[in-house]
Parts: sequence; C-alpha cells; structure tokens
Amino acid sequence: MTPSYNFAFLDEDTKRMLRRALLKAVAIPGYQVPFGSREMPLPYGWGTGGIQVTAALLGRDDILKVIDQGADDTTNAVNIRRFFARVAGVETTEHTVDASLIQTRHRIPETPLREDQILVFQVPEPEPLRTLEPREAETRTLHALADYGLMHVKLYEDIAQYGHIATSYDYPVLVDDRFLTSPSPIPKFDNPKLDRSPALMLFGAGREKRLYAIPPYTKVESLAFDDHPFEIQRWEHRCELCGSAESYLDEVIVDDRGSRMFVCSDTDFCGDRRAEAQA
Amino acid sequence: MMLAAFADPVFDSQRTFRELLQAMARPAAPRRLPVLPPSPAPITPAAMAILLTLCDATTTVWLQQPEQEAVRHLRFHAGLKLTEKPQDADFALITEPASMPPLESFSRGDLRYPDRSASLIVQVDGFRTDSGARFAGPGIRDTQTLAIDGLAEPFWQQRAALSTQLPLGIDLYFVTAQQVVALPRTTRWLES
Repeated sequence: MTPSYNFAFLDEDTKRMLRRALLKAVAIPGYQVPFGSREMPLPYGWGTGGIQVTAALLGRDDILKVIDQGADDTTNAVNIRRFFARVAGVETTEHTVDASLIQTRHRIPETPLREDQILVFQVPEPEPLRTLEPREAETRTLHALADYGLMHVKLYEDIAQYGHIATSYDYPVLVDDRFLTSPSPIPKFDNPKLDRSPALMLFGAGREKRLYAIPPYTKVESLAFDDHPFEIQRWEHRCELCGSAESYLDEVIVDDRGSRMFVCSDTDFCGDRRAEAQA
Repeated sequence: MMLAAFADPVFDSQRTFRELLQAMARPAAPRRLPVLPPSPAPITPAAMAILLTLCDATTTVWLQQPEQEAVRHLRFHAGLKLTEKPQDADFALITEPASMPPLESFSRGDLRYPDRSASLIVQVDGFRTDSGARFAGPGIRDTQTLAIDGLAEPFWQQRAALSTQLPLGIDLYFVTAQQVVALPRTTRWLES
C-alpha cells in the first residue's frame, strides 16, 4: 500500500459527497444522481465512474474483484485491481464467490451473486435517451414526466426495419416501473440478471458525472412489445474450453487463417468448470 | 469540555456508511451500527454516527432541538451548516418524534432532481420485527414486518400522503441506541 495517499485514493470530503449521492441513488431506483466527478489517475473512459464508486465503498475487510468483458486478466481489470491494491491495500481475487465487491465493465458474472455482495458497473453513457435526445435539460424533463415514447418508437423502428429489436447491448430497462435506465453496455443476455437480484447494483459514470443504483429485489423490466417479447442471445455452439451451453460466449479468432472458436466471456466461471471437470 | 468524534475517522465513517447503504438497500430491516461515537444530549451516539458519516461543510442540517452543546459539537467536528428552516435542510435530526413538524415541511426535491430532497434522522425508542406493519417495495424480497416504537400516529398518515408524489419524497433513517432502519420513499406501508 502506498502510504502517501488517503485510503482508497480519494479524500474524505469527496467520499462523503459520493456516499450521500449513492444513498439517494438507492432511495430512487434507476434515477441518475449528479455528482462531482474527480480527476483520477486514469482518463475518462477507463472506468473512472466505477473507480470512484468503489473508492467510496471500500473498507479494509473488502475483497475486490474487477472484470472487463467478463475477464479478470484484461488490461483494464488488471490495472484497476492493482490500483486499489496499491492505494487501499485491500485483498483482491479473481473468484466471484470470494469477492465482497465486484467492479465490472460490460458483464455480470455468470455465477449468481449473493446478498452480501455489491456489484459496481463502469458506465460510459448513463442516459438511455441520449442518442435520441442530445439535450440534458430535455432528457431530465422526459424522466420527470416518465415520457419514454421516444425509446418505444426507436425499438419499433428496429422492428419495422430489421424485423426484430436490433439492440443487443445496453438494452434499455425500466426500473421499479418508473425510471428508464441504461444497464451500461452489458449484453442483453445479462439483462435478466438485473431483475430482482439479491445483490445491490451501483452504476458510476465518471465523464458524465452521474451515478445510479438498482436495489436488491427490484423489478427490472427490459422494454419490449407484446408481439415482440424480450429475448436474449443464443448460440449454436458450446464453450470449447468448458463445454458450457448456458454462458455468454465470445467468438475468438485463433490464427491468421480465420479459424475461430467460441469461449466463455466469464473467465472465472469457465476456469471453475474446467477445474471441476478435471477433479 | 468538548467530546471527541470518531476515533478513527476514515474507517469508522466507512464502516458506518456501508451499514447505511445496506440499510437503505434493504428497507425496514434493522441493522447494527458498528461504531458509536460520544455525543452530547439530546443527540444519541447512533444519530451522531450518521451525521459524522454523511455531513460536512457542504450540507445544511436542521436540528429539532438545537441545544448549544450539540450545535458546538457538530460545528466543530463536521463543520456543517445549520438552518432554522426545515425546508432548507439536506439532513434533519428529529430528537423528539412526538412533537416533530409535519413531514411536508421538509424538501421533497423537484421532478427533474428528486435527489435534492431531505433525509431525516429520527431517534426512536425501539424496533420490533415480529409484529407491526408490513412493508414492501424495492430492496424487499417479499414483505418485511416492522414496528417502530416512539412514533406518533400522524407520521404514518403524512408519509402515506407523500407516496402519491413519487419520485419526490423524503428518505428516513430511524435510530435506536445501536440499530438503524432506513425507509426510502419507495417503501410502501401495506397494513398493520
């Protein structure tokens, strides 16, 4: 641990500001709370929102896991894990079941989460309506009035153009029947895991200076139509390493002749299954 | 002589915050506060733990009973701003719930910014989870049973009246000697 920093890098005033915002975020599920995002030793876009939320939560007893697209061994995940090991001296892990705090970019672990775990999402764009309405003052008003017709029109236009809803990640959800919310760019495969999750889920967007929350056991509905119900991705393949037919698969190109294989995106889940199969 | 605050400010406030976060995420379920700092009357140590964890020079606080010693203590240790108008308060401390002002005298936020609303810390006599009202809403799997001792009857009517204004509302922290229960605006009172 580097002694010249305050515990978990941020100063105590900043942590208090974040903590007040997080409590309001939990009290108003899916609503985006503005916060004073700080300059971090990583650029915006590298998970500064998630890092600030994690820093406000972290205690000496926490065991931290960080994943990027499901993997523990990618650049972003390794760096964030090492950052907190340095500035907070906390224990880190790659095992979902051992973690008390999991920071994630773009996936929810395949292993079901427990009530005593907290999941922190890194969010690039917290406003689900932003691509449809660029003005913040307007989107605030739309949320105030729960006027989400724009998003329904967008999904309808997908169906008119492609015959199905073409959004496959960052698929919009309605939280507690009230706020339209971005689940962050997780694949829609993970959306069902948001609904009535035992674990608290917190979302931080550093560049956009917003954070929000989905409390445990909260209704999270992926938008759809009666005649075009919500569906998740399915594969004809199984994971070529562990044989799983239930997990989210990445397509990996393995040589320069275009050969490819499908493997679990969640490296811890895949590794556990392979270890079990060998035992 | 002035009393001390948290003995270990960084970690005492972090541990207190994590309990508050879980309390807010799992409404109507009592949780034990891990650290109880010294506190001048009429503020109890549990309420003081919350104030020291969440309040500083950027928050405005309203005290129901602004006793001189308590005011000095909070100004010195937290540097917080005090107000005499309940509607200006980010946090309000209710030390005598029987004579508390009506809930609608506190800020409920505005529709664009419902987070700009008051959080109330209410010192009560006790919690019972084997009898009382049933609560439901985000954070509660099925229903949660809870009775809060020391609250006047009009309080629940006032809170029920506020629920028609969601997502505007007021978030509540009830404290006893050692425990905290949170009731965010979204928690619904089902029946007794």
